[in-house]
Amino acid sequence: MRPLRPCWIGLGVLPLAGCDGAQSALAPAGDQAEAIGRLWDLTLAVCVLVYVLVLLALAWALRRRGRRRATDERAMTKALVAFVLFTGGTLTLLTVASFVTDRRLHAPVRDPLHVRITASQWWWQVEYLSADPSRQLTTANELHLPVDRPVRIELATTDVIHSLWIPVLAGKQDLIPGHHNVLVVTPRHVGRYRGQCAEFCGLQHAHMALDVQVDGTEDFAAWYAHQLQPAPTPRSAGANAGQRLFAASACAMCHAIGGTDAGGRVGPDLTHLASRRTLAAGALPLDRTRLAAWILDPQRYKPGTNMPQVPLQPQQLDQVTDYLMELQ
Amino acid sequence: MCSRFRSRHVALAIALLAAAGCQRESREFQTAPVEGAQPHPRLSTLQPGHPLATTASDIGAHYANNAWHITQGGRLYRWFNCNGCHAAGGGAIGPALMDAEWRYGGSIEQIHASILEGRPNGMPAWRGKLTDQQAWQLAAYIRALSGNVRNDAAPSRREGMAATPPPTRIPTQPPRGGDDSSGTGPAP
Amino acid sequence: GNTIALDAKNGKEWWKTSLADIQTGESITMAPLVVKDKVLVGDAGGEFGVRGWLAALDLRSGRLAWKAYSTGPDADVLIGSAFKPFYAGDRGKDLGMKTWPGQAWKIGGGTTWGWISYDPQLDLVYYGTGNPGPWNADQRPGDNKWTSGVFARDPDTGQARWFYQFSPHDLYDYDAVNENLLLDLPFGNATRKVLARPERNGFFYVIDRATGQVLSADKYGHATSIERVDLKSGRPTYNEALKPQSGRVTRNICPASPGEKDWNPSAFSPRTRLVYIPHINLCMDIAPSEVNYIAGTPYVGADVKMYAGPGGYRGVVTAWDPVRRRAAWEVKEDLPVWSGALATAGDLVFYGTMDGWFKALDARTGAELWKFKTDSGIIGQPVSYRGPDGRQYIAVLSGVGGWAGAIVVGNLDTRDATAGGGFANAVRDLKDKSAPGGTLYVFALPK
Repeated sequence: MRPLRPCWIGLGVLPLAGCDGAQSALAPAGDQAEAIGRLWDLTLAVCVLVYVLVLLALAWALRRRGRRRATDERAMTKALVAFVLFTGGTLTLLTVASFVTDRRLHAPVRDPLHVRITASQWWWQVEYLSADPSRQLTTANELHLPVDRPVRIELATTDVIHSLWIPVLAGKQDLIPGHHNVLVVTPRHVGRYRGQCAEFCGLQHAHMALDVQVDGTEDFAAWYAHQLQPAPTPRSAGANAGQRLFAASACAMCHAIGGTDAGGRVGPDLTHLASRRTLAAGALPLDRTRLAAWILDPQRYKPGTNMPQVPLQPQQLDQVTDYLMELQ
Repeated sequence: MCSRFRSRHVALAIALLAAAGCQRESREFQTAPVEGAQPHPRLSTLQPGHPLATTASDIGAHYANNAWHITQGGRLYRWFNCNGCHAAGGGAIGPALMDAEWRYGGSIEQIHASILEGRPNGMPAWRGKLTDQQAWQLAAYIRALSGNVRNDAAPSRREGMAATPPPTRIPTQPPRGGDDSSGTGPAP
Repeated sequence: GNTIALDAKNGKEWWKTSLADIQTGESITMAPLVVKDKVLVGDAGGEFGVRGWLAALDLRSGRLAWKAYSTGPDADVLIGSAFKPFYAGDRGKDLGMKTWPGQAWKIGGGTTWGWISYDPQLDLVYYGTGNPGPWNADQRPGDNKWTSGVFARDPDTGQARWFYQFSPHDLYDYDAVNENLLLDLPFGNATRKVLARPERNGFFYVIDRATGQVLSADKYGHATSIERVDLKSGRPTYNEALKPQSGRVTRNICPASPGEKDWNPSAFSPRTRLVYIPHINLCMDIAPSEVNYIAGTPYVGADVKMYAGPGGYRGVVTAWDPVRRRAAWEVKEDLPVWSGALATAGDLVFYGTMDGWFKALDARTGAELWKFKTDSGIIGQPVSYRGPDGRQYIAVLSGVGGWAGAIVVGNLDTRDATAGGGFANAVRDLKDKSAPGGTLYVFALPK
């Protein structure tokens, strides 16, 4: 992994989140971010050089002030030519570097994993596409990827313009209604990373994060095989009651749980909810207490979100939470 | 001197206008803000003896004039497959919602009741499946389909296939049928 | 969702068997067929996320003898060792699950609301399965077996013998439930037992009904959604430019969702050797969108707007020669022709129009010989029978309705181009041309 740049260079962006590398464009973990990082380094070097030269020129001009000297035409011309050549050269260098980086970002990849991410206000639907339709997987708000394999992410949205930005892996790419964009990433380092929406999309734009996990090949295959399974049957009595309640009440109107009759697609797929680390697109960490609080009043944590406040008795809330926490 | 005087006043006027644009409407996300009993609209136009005065409900009026609730209702209309039976207001296996004919009443309170209670011959009962606020939002949107909405609360554009004119371009059709207990704000 | 047996003499109920659950959107709209000692019944509700099936009830008692689903594992679809599909793409284990993502086959459609035919010599029943659900095909990648195809089954056990899929991964609501004409036609030097089918997807198929091999597939109207059918693999080639995509509007797709011909049945005359096809000429714009599955509510996910196809006429009666594979003649109608056709031994072809005209054409030339204006549009099927007095009678029900007539019956509002599943836009003038009604007309042919 590249050594991290000092934080203060990063223009004062969220210091803590940036520095630990999970969401830092300055800590690339994939080929595309690596290419962008190199361009960034080059631009930084050139800008620092130019800055220093300008300061030196300013210092020299200040030193010379007040003294009257005959204008040396030839020296002036030479200086001007040198200046123009230097400027033209650096601009050309940056242009070429930018072009090369762009080509690298859009280079064709062989045998990519196909993923489709559909953004809605304010969550991510992640579908793993496959030539064999029975191996197609739908999940939400988390993206697991195998290391060292290129991934071709199709980007779509159901409502307004969003933008997907996983800084450690690649640059931003918009998700535009009626349009299909593509983002290619090739992760190179195993680890947990964070992406987020990068185009203002409404009230909860700030709470629309994507939990990204890059795994080794075997770990990814195991995760994938597990996620393909329908939801486990509930074990405890409370969870059983919770499942019945889920299917009969407002929950099943919006959410799907594989293997049951709940087939809603306007909200995140909950088939393996308890295997995730975060809740509500990264707004909350996932544990039993927070899940119950979220279900009781989603508007408290994400005011304006489309999940309504469903009136539930305390016992009903317990049962539904029991059921959902069993969906490993 | 003259131009500076004028430009300062113009700047002040613009600032005042801009400030007036704030807080155009309030949007509450948790529960309806209006206190008071839930309305119980009548289904029948018959009353024994002299008819009682019809009263509009504050809850209904709030939702009917709120742009956010109306467009949220439009979103819910497709999410919960209302368009599967009622199309985009023209009807299919369910009756049209954009005309003036209402078997069970066309006021926002009556539409809200029809959604939650269900109606004979195929309208499912959504109580317990939708929250009360969602039912109000849907009712507000459905009122807008027949043009019964203030022009500044309804969208002026259509998405997707744009199969219908936007609600602001549909002439207001006061509902017929059922008890005409409307009164949800001035007609546009 | 019930099948009821009544005594034909006095109307007394013999038995009643409940088969379909309306809470999930399942219903029964087809006419059962009695084959030997079984009553065959299929379900409807492909637009409600219902799973299709064909059930056989015992004729005497009404008890369920077998039930063959249209999607799911082989055990549910009654696919076993007797199953010998002609094309390689239909061979494999549990294709009714493998050609669907996840659990989508459970709400995948393939309902069987159309016609069943029986061949007593081969002892096979033939019936079609409806479209896969939802209409938004992006939600169900894969071939979606065994929807939009035709099954041949053993009527005693329900075991499948062969299957052919007219529209794999259907994109346009091309149900495959149309009538199956069982004909013996000359092909080359031999006479072959075939199943002829004017299909919704715009092609007239002639299929060997013993093996399931497609002998010919030709467009019998204006069709652009499918370019051709490859006879070697049996697969149609979809027009790439007209493939719908979620979130976008795709325009000028012909035929529209009701197809080149919907379920109204055609007729074959052994005298003229022509198939008389009463059908439509409609094209459509379609805009699929993501749809939520809520049991008992529509599960469609597409906005559709239909309009007249090229030429401006919306209905047509085609006399098709299945051996020469071309039309012998064509009669155009202003309104869609939604009635069945009847061919008689007097070389007459009867059909009805949606504004109420009941017409008789010359079976050989298509010339209009007679017509009668009934009270309401005709969407029923004319029947011919010999009365107790030895005279020939022709009977037809007059009463507009169905998908084509919904605008009248439901008083739909045409300011919404998607009203009535898009059909209201195609027949905006129908309210002026037809009133609702329900009358049985019986005509006696001259002695």
